[in-house]
Amino acid sequence: MSKNAFLSMLMNRLGALVFLFGKILRFGFFIAFIVFLLKGTNTLAGYNLNQTLFFFLTFNLVDIVTQFLYREVYRFRPLVVSGGFDLVLTKPINALFRSLMGGADILDLITIPPLIVAVYFLGMSLNPTLVQIFLYLLLLINGLLIATAFHIAILSLGIITLEIDHTIMIYRDLTNLGRFPVDIYKQPLRGILTYLIPVGLMVTFPAKALMGLLNPRVTLLSLAFGTICLFVSLKFWNYALTKYSSASS
Amino acid sequence: MLEKYLQIFKISLVQEFAYRLNFIMWRVRNVMQIFLVFFLWNSVFSDPTRMVFGYDRGKILTYVFGILILKAIVLSARAVDVAGEISRGDLSNFLLKPINYFKFWFTRDISSKALNLGFAIVEVLILFILLKPPLFIQTEIISLFGFLVSLVLAVFLFFLLLFLINLVAFWMPENSWAAQFLFIAILTEFLSGGVFPLDILPITVQRFLYLLPFPYLMFFPLQVYLGKIVGSQMFGGILISLFWVLVLAIGLNIVWNKGIKRFEAVGR
Repeated sequence: MSKNAFLSMLMNRLGALVFLFGKILRFGFFIAFIVFLLKGTNTLAGYNLNQTLFFFLTFNLVDIVTQFLYREVYRFRPLVVSGGFDLVLTKPINALFRSLMGGADILDLITIPPLIVAVYFLGMSLNPTLVQIFLYLLLLINGLLIATAFHIAILSLGIITLEIDHTIMIYRDLTNLGRFPVDIYKQPLRGILTYLIPVGLMVTFPAKALMGLLNPRVTLLSLAFGTICLFVSLKFWNYALTKYSSASS
Repeated sequence: MLEKYLQIFKISLVQEFAYRLNFIMWRVRNVMQIFLVFFLWNSVFSDPTRMVFGYDRGKILTYVFGILILKAIVLSARAVDVAGEISRGDLSNFLLKPINYFKFWFTRDISSKALNLGFAIVEVLILFILLKPPLFIQTEIISLFGFLVSLVLAVFLFFLLLFLINLVAFWMPENSWAAQFLFIAILTEFLSGGVFPLDILPITVQRFLYLLPFPYLMFFPLQVYLGKIVGSQMFGGILISLFWVLVLAIGLNIVWNKGIKRFEAVGR
């Protein structure tokens, strides 16, 4: 499935290259913004330049890996509206797996390795202990689990309401609020973004864990939250399937 | 003659409401984007007496709110659909009609701006009540006049820039979306000051950027409003803005004439 997705993207090479260049440029602009901002202010919400950059890189890692894996979600609505989802349901492949991960994005695959290298080098410059590195990786996976749960919920909502495009853009806009540590927001928005719409859990907490700024209780709560999110989203998907009425037959 | 463009304005306005959910979500997304920038700068200026990059708390938060308004006035446009019309061959319909294609899209743009501005004003009021930022109110007549002039030029500038990018569709009907993404979603968004004020960048970078048209879309008008650019600098910036309007207008005319010659109405 991924090979097919890659091949269809490569058929439009020029467009793909320009799009990739645009994404790299956007990333570069944000890095420049953070660097020059911190040059003038020295700190942001108590974090220095390297820490702020690390928050930003961690956000990008979660965001780009999620987009790489779940690009197919953006193509789900036409499938449901046209009745093509019937064919997905009848095939000997898990419908959720197909709808969620059926079209990996090669452009994001190109940007992930350099991003991982950048995260590694910047992370090591913060002198973390082995435990902090382990917690970072654990909470990073937890962040991806929460993102997975979100995407499954979006697919489920799409089956019930036929509305996906706006939901996914709201999700993207909400997670974009995690570009910087959620500490910049005032309460109650900070609490909402940390626990209710768990952007903070997804992207800020892993970076905080690496910096040794997260206590064990909060770490455990985050992991539990991630697991519960995934469990609830899977239940929601199964419920949504019972509500699916085909458009074609 | 004005009557037909008035009708286009009204129809375009009604069309925006045909996809109400789309439009409301677009406005919600605009507000959410402002949240990030607002709280970021609010955090930087948590000490209300602090001055950074020549801004105090009032001016930087006025800048942030100003971006929300100026995005509605300058960057709201329907002309993003031009490339699609060319690619699908629908342009043929307009070439046969007694209507100027540029004026048609400019009128549609104005209707989009009017609608977005109405909503942006309401959003700013709500955000003002919720967030209670200290806003800077300009009282100098010359600065206000300079702001309005630069704003009008910015509207024309963006229309010409957007239209020009869309004409890529004459040569690359399948890839015009990529050109729009690069020039409008990325370059315009950042280099117009939509994400951060350009004066946080080093002075050499700023001097180079001021030679390009992008800063004159939102950053320059806001700097004039905030009183950070005055006198001969303001006058010079307005002249550069006017220069770019003329250059892009001439460029658009040339590219349009070349593009029309190779237009094949593929798909019709």
